[in-house]
Amino acid sequence: MRSEKQILGAILLLLSVGTFPSCVSVSAYQKMHLNDKEMELNVRKVEHFEISAESYREGAAGINGGKVGGGCGCN
Amino acid sequence: MENNILKLLFITVLILNFSQLKAQETRQIDEGTLTEKEKVSNWYNDNEVDINILFNYYNQDGDHSPVTGGIGTEELQSGAMKIMVSIPLDSVSILNISTLANVYSSASTDNIDTNVSSASSEDLRLQMDVGYTKKIGAQQSYTLRASGSTESDYVSKSIGGSWSIDSNDRNRQFGIDVQAFFDHWVPIFPEELRGTDNTLIPTNKRKSYSVGFNFSQVINKKLQLLFSTEIVYQRGLLSTPFHRVYFQSEELPKIERLPNEKLKFPLGLRVNYFLNDYIILRAYYRHYSDDFGVNAHTASLEVPIKVNSFFSVYPFYRWHTQTAAKYFSGYKEHAISENFYTSDYDLSAIDSYKVGLGIHYTPVWGIGRFKFLSKKKITVFKGIDLRIAKYARSDGLDAFMISTNFAFTME
Repeated sequence: MRSEKQILGAILLLLSVGTFPSCVSVSAYQKMHLNDKEMELNVRKVEHFEISAESYREGAAGINGGKVGGGCGCN
Repeated sequence: MENNILKLLFITVLILNFSQLKAQETRQIDEGTLTEKEKVSNWYNDNEVDINILFNYYNQDGDHSPVTGGIGTEELQSGAMKIMVSIPLDSVSILNISTLANVYSSASTDNIDTNVSSASSEDLRLQMDVGYTKKIGAQQSYTLRASGSTESDYVSKSIGGSWSIDSNDRNRQFGIDVQAFFDHWVPIFPEELRGTDNTLIPTNKRKSYSVGFNFSQVINKKLQLLFSTEIVYQRGLLSTPFHRVYFQSEELPKIERLPNEKLKFPLGLRVNYFLNDYIILRAYYRHYSDDFGVNAHTASLEVPIKVNSFFSVYPFYRWHTQTAAKYFSGYKEHAISENFYTSDYDLSAIDSYKVGLGIHYTPVWGIGRFKFLSKKKITVFKGIDLRIAKYARSDGLDAFMISTNFAFTME
């Protein structure tokens, strides 16, 4: 239980990074690395089947491109 | 309690991020840094239609089938094909259509009745999704979507929409996503229980509503993050009518029984880091909790290794752990006095891991060019994605999956 709180706290801390204007402002011409296909923050299309299978085989689902409701078998 | 406070803080910080983003937008417009015309860039190339054809093969085996009360084979094989088409309607709007066909054979569901290899051993699932996305000005966009799916005992319909806004420098994005599912079961009960009081169910409908928030942030030239959270509320028949549950003192089983309401709360963080010209790190973490008592942590790391500018290989590893739902017990472990019960090991205390390898091959000029469907347009075979993964659960369930994506563009 304690570790769960620590993890949530760590996420909160990381999230707060975006709240304060300390991040570097990156101009469009400086985004060569960020625009790399492998740097996309989306789930890969080819990964959707796996996420669907995991949502069936585990009690947890959501926020990763997987279904959160609807469909037989999804917990 | 403390967890709930942390979660509330999480949402508050998301809202703070959003308000800051709005403030930045107003400030930059006031300063006249960009005219509206300049900001409306060509979002879509209205001559190119993207087509993705995906295939998947999945097979699993285990010994804890919920159809036979938490014991018995879970052998299953599944093959799926999905076609995704994106059609730009003009430079600011796009139509997305996808269709899915999934055929599976399951030794587990074959045990709904005693007639082995009967109709219950196979099923076909068909799904169709339609979405319309439109850019509003330079920084905002919205999507409207609808979908439907059907299989022999389950029909699902859904509607949804999302809205997102970018900061002027495009270093931040905030988005909201809402979705509603309206499903109904065609209940199939275990053969020996048909016509008995054990098969009484309060409803055959299931409704699911979700509201999701996401926020992405560029930290520097090599690092960016995505925070996501979602609240999901489900109501209706949340158990599966053909799942058996055996009790300590009873010979005959009952069908699985779960509360008719459920609240889920996943939240996650995705971090992508461009380590150098050859290696990228893609990390993901999710915390999940629901009011059935399942608390879960999921973490994954993917390491794309760029062999050259159009070919990369990426090993990946995913780890998951969860506590059991408070209504779970194994075969013949439930007491007859319990109100809710399940022997579905998907809801038990389990750890799992997935390990695998993917390749991504997209040459600059494509793999091949040919004419297809249209005499005027040329179809370019743009690239291939391939993923192979092995999945193992601590209760003994093993799975193997292979997926491919063939990407085309009509230009």
